[in-house]
Amino acid sequence: MTNPNPRDTGRAEQGSALSGAPDTGCEKEVSSILLRVDDLSKRFGAVQANDHVSFEVRKGEIHCLLGENGAGKSTMAECLYGTYQPDGGSIYFKGRQIRLTSPRDAINLGIGMVHQHFVLVPPMNVIENIIIGTQKKGLFLRTEEAEKKIQRLCDEYGIDLDIHAPIKELSVSQQQWTEILKALYVGVDLLILDEPTAVLTPQEIMALFRTVKKMAEQGLSVILITHKFSEVLEVSDRITVLRKGKLIGTVETRSINDRELARMMVGRDVIFRVEKEEVKPGELVLELDGVTLRNSQKMKKLDNIHLQIRRHEILGLAGVGGNGQRSLYNAIIGISPLDEGRILLCEEDLAKKSVADRMMACLAGIPEDRIKQGLLMDFSVKESLLLGRHNRPPFSRFGWLCKKKIREFAERSIANYEIAVQNGDVRTGTLSGGNLQKVILARELAHDPCCVVASQPTRGLDVGAIEYVHRRLLDLRREGAGILLISEDLDELFNLSDRLAVIYKGRIMGVFDVNDVTREKVGLLMAGISE
Amino acid sequence: MKIGTLHLEKRTHVSWYVQGFSILIALAGAFGVGALLIMTTGASVGEAYAALFKGAFGSRNAFLETLVQSTPLILTGLAMVVAFRARVWNIGAEGQFFAGAMAAAWVSMTLHDDLSGPLLLAAVLVAAMLAGACWAMIAAYCKIRFNANIIIVTVMMNYIILFLLSYLLSNTWREPGSYFMQTARFERITYLPRFFSSRLHLGFFNALIASVLVYVLVWKTSLGYSIRAVGVNPVASQFKGIQIKRTILTVMLISGALAGLAGGGEIAGLQHRLRLDISTGYGYTGIIIALLGRLNPVGVALAAIFFGALVNGSTHMQIFTGVPVALVQSLQGIVLIFLLMSDVLTRYRIRRTPHAD
Repeated sequence: MTNPNPRDTGRAEQGSALSGAPDTGCEKEVSSILLRVDDLSKRFGAVQANDHVSFEVRKGEIHCLLGENGAGKSTMAECLYGTYQPDGGSIYFKGRQIRLTSPRDAINLGIGMVHQHFVLVPPMNVIENIIIGTQKKGLFLRTEEAEKKIQRLCDEYGIDLDIHAPIKELSVSQQQWTEILKALYVGVDLLILDEPTAVLTPQEIMALFRTVKKMAEQGLSVILITHKFSEVLEVSDRITVLRKGKLIGTVETRSINDRELARMMVGRDVIFRVEKEEVKPGELVLELDGVTLRNSQKMKKLDNIHLQIRRHEILGLAGVGGNGQRSLYNAIIGISPLDEGRILLCEEDLAKKSVADRMMACLAGIPEDRIKQGLLMDFSVKESLLLGRHNRPPFSRFGWLCKKKIREFAERSIANYEIAVQNGDVRTGTLSGGNLQKVILARELAHDPCCVVASQPTRGLDVGAIEYVHRRLLDLRREGAGILLISEDLDELFNLSDRLAVIYKGRIMGVFDVNDVTREKVGLLMAGISE
Repeated sequence: MKIGTLHLEKRTHVSWYVQGFSILIALAGAFGVGALLIMTTGASVGEAYAALFKGAFGSRNAFLETLVQSTPLILTGLAMVVAFRARVWNIGAEGQFFAGAMAAAWVSMTLHDDLSGPLLLAAVLVAAMLAGACWAMIAAYCKIRFNANIIIVTVMMNYIILFLLSYLLSNTWREPGSYFMQTARFERITYLPRFFSSRLHLGFFNALIASVLVYVLVWKTSLGYSIRAVGVNPVASQFKGIQIKRTILTVMLISGALAGLAGGGEIAGLQHRLRLDISTGYGYTGIIIALLGRLNPVGVALAAIFFGALVNGSTHMQIFTGVPVALVQSLQGIVLIFLLMSDVLTRYRIRRTPHAD
């Protein structure tokens, strides 16, 4: 048999005939539709990631898929790219029903995708990375022709990239350009970008959007997946909103504002800005004095860092991910010993203090990866709340766990922090992201810390949970704690911080009063440009 | 027409009866395959299994002998529970068992004139535990200092101690004038007391006490909490101030001491002389026992008695039905294979996929 699935083609023709039938009134409209998703469903275990979702993407359109984390945006994209096969529903591309068994099928049809995590070969240059796997014949790569074509694409779309540079020397945003070029090179009609702005500075985001708009002008359709309103409103033509796997609706961007969009996305009104009251900073609680940390190759991960945090103050640390934030967190809570410099907590040198000692000295840490670094998913909530305190009174006496005290603490935490769980005996792993973060907050803030280091405290949380975390941080600030807020979310940093520091390649590029600095300036510093 | 296909779905919660059910399925599967093996010998499956049961539980003495057989298995199983709870893969219980046996033998040979009665017996058992702990500590040190793979180190240590014992038994410790590689029989004063005019010795009760202690350690103490936390998520444990290296060391010491006690108990309670064949792989069987008992001290005691029954009944089975004792050894292995397979059942549930069309 030449056609492996003869039933499909028959069905496809039938399908397109059917889809044409009701729309005969507006013939033009039909032909301008590139992709139509009809009643698509996808289930993972108990989670219905996509629940009968339908939407259309027009030719030359920038179409945003908007939704909170876990709304099913990425699952939808992976179904369109052939990584997953939907459980039900159909996909029509250029008027024909398609059935994708792998990304290769999608690429052959003209659907390209750029993932959050890039698939590039670091020692090879841009050209080689792009043409790898595209050449059908011959043993050696023929680059001359490809080079011309890639250069033409760069000029056409205004992409500023040295295509002879090896990937390992490129910045994250340049690597993303390479991924986009990869898709353009094989000639796609539909390009899917999955959270493309998560790793970029504001300036890089602007450049990306300029190019995406140019692509759309040239007739390419782009699906942009994101959860950030500002981006959606800035760049897209139409928006499809998903919530908990279900389609909420598709709207024209020009006919909607951010409040309406937020209501669609979350299902209720959202307060965009938490009220921050005026409080005067008190005495110094945490001081980093020339902190330097090297990796095993003696490269500096942290380079002579000086920071000071006072009571009643939130110091925000801005920076693109991977510029030393993780090392800084580890250094402060005591996992990585310093190579140079000192960390002082309430004027006391922490050098000789273990992780546990620092906790007892009223330092609290909210780790960036709450599942890997913060919680014991196989333990009960009660036991997860105990971690770090399991070997000291009142929870432990002479090495024995005090069951009663532990249960009381769990009950108190669940009530005070509104953790959505019946009781403390439920397995931690069954909780949602927001509730997991509440467990960590309850545990870390139980001993009234004077200094809190919060790393990406709202990453991956839904809007309601973000609001909750923000309120808690501001409560702490009012009550007199000094807070170091490490975040990649500039909105969050500008909303909460009193002062802002920018980190780039392990160095502090500057510390500013949040009212005296613009986003543009911070964005430039995040990219390492000080002028 | 296409029928909906089956797929696996991860369970969010594993209840105790699902766990129990999966163990029963594994045992049923193993005995099923065992039945096929019995058929190849030409014997009747029913008769063979009946003889096996009768040999293990048929009389008071048979039952007591089953407990005797289970004694070292309870202890090596417990040794694995402590280690595996922290995800420290101590495969060296066999070596630690021999270390304990050798220490017990040494104390029996050298101190029987200096100490008396209970004091001597205590010295024998304590020496066995210390020796097992020390032998385990070598592997723990390699892990902590050089980040060596603990599985490989512990397995190698098993061979090292066997050859060391083999050397000692052919030279210094060899019974004068004996043809066999064994020590002389120890003085009667070093024997553990026996009960119910059977071979059941004090070691069995030690093993029961150890089960209770391990249960208390794992679930009721803050050390046990640390051990379990390190096993579940070492990164989070470290972030919250639990010292991973210290925990690994502690776990290996306890695990080694339990395996050493098993060796000491066999020497002082049963063998009364040191030979190369005092263990029939108790250290390795302990791994199966620990998994069969779901890393739970009570489960381990039950699993060990079950395995002890198999071993004890197998002789009876061989005598009366001609099915060789080796069947039981293969049965033990088959149980493990089925157990690992049935693990899928506990962690996933089978669902029918609603078909796309």
